[in-house]
Amino acid sequence: MTENWDRIGIPAQPESPRQDGISATAVSRSFGQVHAVEHMDFHAPAGKVTALIGPNGAGKTTLLLMLASLLAPDSGTVTVDGLDPQNHRAEVRKRIGWMPDTLGVWESLTAREILTQIARFYRLPKAGIPQRVTEMLDRVRLSDLADQPARVLSRGQQQRLSLARALIHDPSVLLLDEPASGLDPGSRVELRVMLRQLAAEGKSIVVSSHVLSELDEIADAAVFVNRGRTVRHQTTDAAAASGRRYAISATDGAALAAKLTDLGLTFRVEDGRRPAVSLVLLNDDAARLLRDLVLAGVGVSSFAPASGALEETYMNLEGERR
Amino acid sequence: MSQLTEQTQRPPASGFGAGYLAGIRDVVVLELKQRLRSRGWYIMLAIWFILTGLVTWLTWASWNAQREAQRAYSNFLPPDTGPGSMIFEVVLAFVLLFALLVAPALSANAVNGDRAGGTLAILQVTLLRPGQILWGKFFAAWAAALAFLVASTPFLVIGVALGGMTPGHVIVALLMLAVEVGVVCAIGVGISALAGRPLFSIVVTYLAVAGLVFGSLIAFGLGTGLSQGTVMANQAQYRNYEPLRPVPDETAPQEPEYTCSGPLRAQPAVRTERVAWMLAMNPYVVVADAIPYTVRVNSGLGMSSPVGAIESISQGARYAMAGPEGTYPCANGEAKPQYLAQSTPLWPLGLGLQLLLAGLLMWLGWRSLRTPAHRLARGTRIA
Repeated sequence: MTENWDRIGIPAQPESPRQDGISATAVSRSFGQVHAVEHMDFHAPAGKVTALIGPNGAGKTTLLLMLASLLAPDSGTVTVDGLDPQNHRAEVRKRIGWMPDTLGVWESLTAREILTQIARFYRLPKAGIPQRVTEMLDRVRLSDLADQPARVLSRGQQQRLSLARALIHDPSVLLLDEPASGLDPGSRVELRVMLRQLAAEGKSIVVSSHVLSELDEIADAAVFVNRGRTVRHQTTDAAAASGRRYAISATDGAALAAKLTDLGLTFRVEDGRRPAVSLVLLNDDAARLLRDLVLAGVGVSSFAPASGALEETYMNLEGERR
Repeated sequence: MSQLTEQTQRPPASGFGAGYLAGIRDVVVLELKQRLRSRGWYIMLAIWFILTGLVTWLTWASWNAQREAQRAYSNFLPPDTGPGSMIFEVVLAFVLLFALLVAPALSANAVNGDRAGGTLAILQVTLLRPGQILWGKFFAAWAAALAFLVASTPFLVIGVALGGMTPGHVIVALLMLAVEVGVVCAIGVGISALAGRPLFSIVVTYLAVAGLVFGSLIAFGLGTGLSQGTVMANQAQYRNYEPLRPVPDETAPQEPEYTCSGPLRAQPAVRTERVAWMLAMNPYVVVADAIPYTVRVNSGLGMSSPVGAIESISQGARYAMAGPEGTYPCANGEAKPQYLAQSTPLWPLGLGLQLLLAGLLMWLGWRSLRTPAHRLARGTRIA
């Protein structure tokens, strides 16, 4: 992972004159009485992974559908590399790869046939299609199953096929709706590596997910949405800098509590399986606190972040909502 | 009418050359690959083949039995035309019935089935245009339905081979069956793009087909009751009715059996021509009316009645179309031609109206497939 993190610093090499990712400005969309998205702003720059985070029904999928140019906003504009989907349909479509939260595979077709068909629908040059398909199958590790009907693929394999489908035409914007759901831990790590690589290639990547600890590792920034509105835009670094919750447990809980009170820190007693306390710390503070506790003779048995950096923000937002 | 409606089937975002057609072809390939790999289609095809064969054989057997009975118990023998016309008509009616039953099943879940499976949005997000998706689905459904017609061709050919008919009949019949199946497929695909759930759209398509087959008859029947009118006519003077004297052979159209005289008066009549268009929309009428038959010379009994169901349907419909102006004795003081001589074809009107309906549904379906979508049907999720 570290090598991927390092690569973020390298500015993306623009392939076309304008590659400024995908953005939505003040988009609204309602379905009948339900205002799914209200005045939402969103921007996913090229070369970055942007997370879209929010509770169920917050308008994430509606926003992604508008970004994917499938749904027209009632008001506001969506631009992909500076182009408007309404007026530059084909150009925008060529630039967008979309992986929906529903799997949507043609079950009787093989993985290879599905990718070939999609490549044709994107009007890729015919001669290059077989090679491109093989390449993509390799990339998502489906070469062994390439000629099996899609119905025999497991959920995770179908998910990877879906990703290959979204990438077949080499889009500059990748929209992924819950890409990690149904993936085993190994595949999640792979997905993470792959998304970092794609971002390093200069694509702008939008990931919506509930698995917030995952996003800590993948995303450069996160957009928090709730009730159809953009609640906050935060980079992962900023989220980390604003502190995260640490859970501490000790052999002697009373001694730990006493020492923390001594240090003047406010903490919360967690009623989990093991007795523990938790408190919000910045990274520098955490190191200092651990040293203080150990030096004070408190038998610290565990000292770890209780949540991801983004999760912390998310939970705070949840709290504000109530 | 027919010239006008033939154009309503054109795609609203009409073709931009080879690229547009290539996209349609790719969708057709995608659809047909899936259909050819589903076992249900083959089972249906096999059942179809066996059933049509059975009907053909039973018709032939019953014709034989009837003839045997006539030979055994009476000395009256009808002119030996062979069973061709009868087998042909029964098989044709049966094939059309089954085609009308099968086509909705093959077409009416084309779009919303994909929507339910999450594969429609995947097509929509590519460079495919909504028209390409819709036409691709339509042609695939049509091709799948045409396979059933191909499977029944041998039996129509048998009908011809057994006598009485020409290959031209088979070709025209198959052509019209193919067109009718296409109309039903277009209706099905159009409705499937409009309706949220496959079950609903299949039921609605069946109802639409039932509307064309039975509803058109009912509507025509009820409509005639409301179409009372008058026609200007004078008195018809019939010649002495001499049933047993053979009429000398004459060529058709036969000279009328009456003369007209006296002042024109308004006579009550049913203006069937006002509602005949409803009858014309019936698929059976369209197929029967399009199949050519010769205007026959009278039989020795002086009666000219149509031979076989096809002629009966066709003449009945044309009679309704002509209305009292063309059929009432001495309307406008003119003797009217015989029953069998209604020569204005009705099927272009009926087919035109059917194409209009199918074209309208396809157009509405096309509208619902456009992306970025502005309006969504209640309760539908685009992906």
